[in-house]
Amino acid sequence: MACASVARHALESGLVVAVSRIQLKPLAASASPSCLKLLTVRRHGIRAMSETPAMSGSPPISGRSVVVKEKEAIPKGSTGAKETISTDPPRGTRDFPPEDMRMRTWLFDNFREVSRLCAFEEVDFPVLESEELYTRKAGEEIVGQLYNFEDKGGRKVTLRPELTPSLARLVLQKGRAQSYPLKWFAIGQCWRYERMTRGRRREHYQWNMDIIGVPGVEAEAELLSAIVMFFTRLGITSKDVGIKVSNRKVLQAVLEKYGIQPDSFAAVCVIVDKLEKLKREEIVSELDKVGVPAEAIEGILQALTLQSFDDLEALLGADSGAVTELKQLFALAEGYGFQDWLHFDASVVRGLAYYTGTVFEGFAKNSQLRAICGGGRYDRLLSTYGGEDTPACGFGFGDAVIVELLKDKKLLPQFPHMVDDIVIALDDSLKVPAAGVAARLRNAGRVVELVIEKGRKMKWVFKQCDALKAKRLILLGTTEWEQGKVSVKDLSVREQTLKTVDELIAVS
Amino acid sequence: MSTKGSMGSQIVTDPPKGTRDFPPEDMRMRTWLFNNFREVSRLFSFEEVDFPMVESEELYTRKAGEEIVGQLYNFEDKGGRKVALRPELTPSLARLVLQKGKAQVFPLKWFAIGQCWRYENMTRGRRREHYQWNMDIIGVPGVEAEAELLAAIVMFFERLGITSKDVGIKVSNRKVLQAVLEKYEIQADNFAPVCVIVDKLDKLPRDVIESELAKINVPSEAIDGILKALTLQSFDDLEALIGAESGAVGELKQLFALAEGYGIQDWLQFDASVVRGLAYYTGTVFEGFDKDRKLRAICGGGRYDRLLSTYGGLDTPACGFGFGDAVIVELLKEKKLLPKFPHVVDDVVMALEDSLKIKAAGVAAQLRKSGRVVELVIEKGKKMRW
Repeated sequence: MACASVARHALESGLVVAVSRIQLKPLAASASPSCLKLLTVRRHGIRAMSETPAMSGSPPISGRSVVVKEKEAIPKGSTGAKETISTDPPRGTRDFPPEDMRMRTWLFDNFREVSRLCAFEEVDFPVLESEELYTRKAGEEIVGQLYNFEDKGGRKVTLRPELTPSLARLVLQKGRAQSYPLKWFAIGQCWRYERMTRGRRREHYQWNMDIIGVPGVEAEAELLSAIVMFFTRLGITSKDVGIKVSNRKVLQAVLEKYGIQPDSFAAVCVIVDKLEKLKREEIVSELDKVGVPAEAIEGILQALTLQSFDDLEALLGADSGAVTELKQLFALAEGYGFQDWLHFDASVVRGLAYYTGTVFEGFAKNSQLRAICGGGRYDRLLSTYGGEDTPACGFGFGDAVIVELLKDKKLLPQFPHMVDDIVIALDDSLKVPAAGVAARLRNAGRVVELVIEKGRKMKWVFKQCDALKAKRLILLGTTEWEQGKVSVKDLSVREQTLKTVDELIAVS
Repeated sequence: MSTKGSMGSQIVTDPPKGTRDFPPEDMRMRTWLFNNFREVSRLFSFEEVDFPMVESEELYTRKAGEEIVGQLYNFEDKGGRKVALRPELTPSLARLVLQKGKAQVFPLKWFAIGQCWRYENMTRGRRREHYQWNMDIIGVPGVEAEAELLAAIVMFFERLGITSKDVGIKVSNRKVLQAVLEKYEIQADNFAPVCVIVDKLDKLPRDVIESELAKINVPSEAIDGILKALTLQSFDDLEALIGAESGAVGELKQLFALAEGYGIQDWLQFDASVVRGLAYYTGTVFEGFDKDRKLRAICGGGRYDRLLSTYGGLDTPACGFGFGDAVIVELLKEKKLLPKFPHVVDDVVMALEDSLKIKAAGVAAQLRKSGRVVELVIEKGKKMRW
């Protein structure tokens, strides 16, 4: 492998140069107009690629060449070629080494605990689903970025982009045997396939809570109370975070007023959801494209600016579904005690095609962060799958923004690895009894680190006691063991005593 | 939104072939099982890790004829990259260890519970996915590591009420086969394929095994020697065959001595026929089995000291096991040890009149804040009987 400038000089003096793929482009651009004949060295030999003027912009002339080495190939052993695999996880995905995993577990435990206190039941579905679950034609971003492929049997499948369709499928599967309401939650990984130029993730975990079978906004209120409970548990307050609430019946009423077809409804919602991300002219032009007349566009955009119930009533009338539902929802919020968190904001529409009523979105105040969570009512999803219309509402809460928020607010705890006892044999001959001591302590419910590698000095052992925040250090030494005892150092008071193993277990 | 009717007939409500849904009851069982995996790992001071379910196919391109590699659930992503839904967790773990590089302090004691996938013809009605609990120790060359792992497996069984009358763990060491192959001067790079073939001894007839060995150029004299060696069941016989100073004998004896220290010796038995089907095991191998012989292997593992170097890193001692979520549940059902998992709440709160719904919400909120599991009745029209 050679660095770019050295490579260029070498090339120009007629040598064959091996470079890595990353270096190829700048080299091709800077090398003088000799041709670049690209060869790739694959595992089992050299295969010539086409002469590629595309790389350098100059026509191919035979002569010098650049060898692009993709992988080193040294056959070793019968398990296959030795090669340096890429140690990074696939693009857009994450590994969870111990520290990161402890944080994730803490986060998920909080998701679970809130769900549990609200008497919701956990469910799960396959991460792979049939593509048909997501073939909605409303222009949603989520559908345009499906991580889909054909499996070996030619079936069109996809890694799920969201959990709600799987939940709907499971509800349909249960059929008439199911007794409502259902209060289900899930924590699952969701995927999207997006160009990686923006450095965005391809996967994230999402906590969902859904209530199926309750037509009234009492269901939305339960969901919102759970979200607030979660924030509160983590030390977040209504000064930090708010939840914007609206109702798609507002838009529905506006569209009806202008005589727009109901099957444009979802597409309109998906477009106006992008109001904060796109310029007004773009929104206007997209609405125009789905056949919304200019007068209606005006009316829609106006309606989205409302921020008080009075204005809403003035526009739609006090008996409109949207108004009564919103008022009832806010009244219930007062009952729960979280009204300070909610804000009526007609601009909230959310980007999913299937919401039909209440919609809401958690956001960080005074912050550039994206939406923390979002949800709403979706009373007609099951019928689009061939079942009966069943009232349903739910939310999704991702694992990315919340962590950024907690970091911003300095509310993210540390997650050290901690044990109760460290057990070590001071002599190799005592390894076997040391194992027995560890076993008995573990059976008594202690978290025990047994030192199994050779050659550890006491200096290292004490460092470990600190690092693992151990409560006790238990040492087996030949003299003590001959008397049937072990040395126990209580690290909280820094006292060392001799005990029999029975005594050790008894005080554990 | 596409209007009602434009979707036509009902979608398929079953999950994709070979996969499972987890409605509440099944989820509670799964959570209970995984909590036991986690609790045992925690008591052993192992740290949990996780990796992506999608990995580059290159992680699994081993050429030893393993079933696991032949049934890879692989595909090309939209960028043309060859990827796979992982068939096992160990290569991801090795990748993560390599990633950490010199910064990593050994030994590592890591565990994971992750879903693994295979693509198989569905005629046999088999699953395409399962969850697997893995515990691995990286950086300890001695069999103290294998002993910790076996002690953890036994603790898990005991927690669930399973005893050594129900389940045993067969233990052997691939150095036995290695010694036999060396005796017949078989090439070292045939080692893994030989192991993968003889692993199938209890599934395929002997002549099929012999012919597969012949296909990879193992001479018939060696075939006999191999098959004979796999019948050994005592250390004395083992010593007679390969010598008392052999690595295999020393390691096995030391492992069984440590097992006595842990108090798990009743669970273990030396059985030279255990080889396991993964290409990368180099030393100790073991397998948990149902003593009634009705079920497939419950779990399996071993030492794999050269996996990291096949990925381009340095040889690092490592050993671990995989423990699936399917056979253990069948075993628990057989032994009537699977508990029930009802949905349980502390309080049910209900407004007897619609006008009191708001107050009821407040009551529920307060109770939940104090840590009670509260079912708030939010639907209308429920009678007292319900």
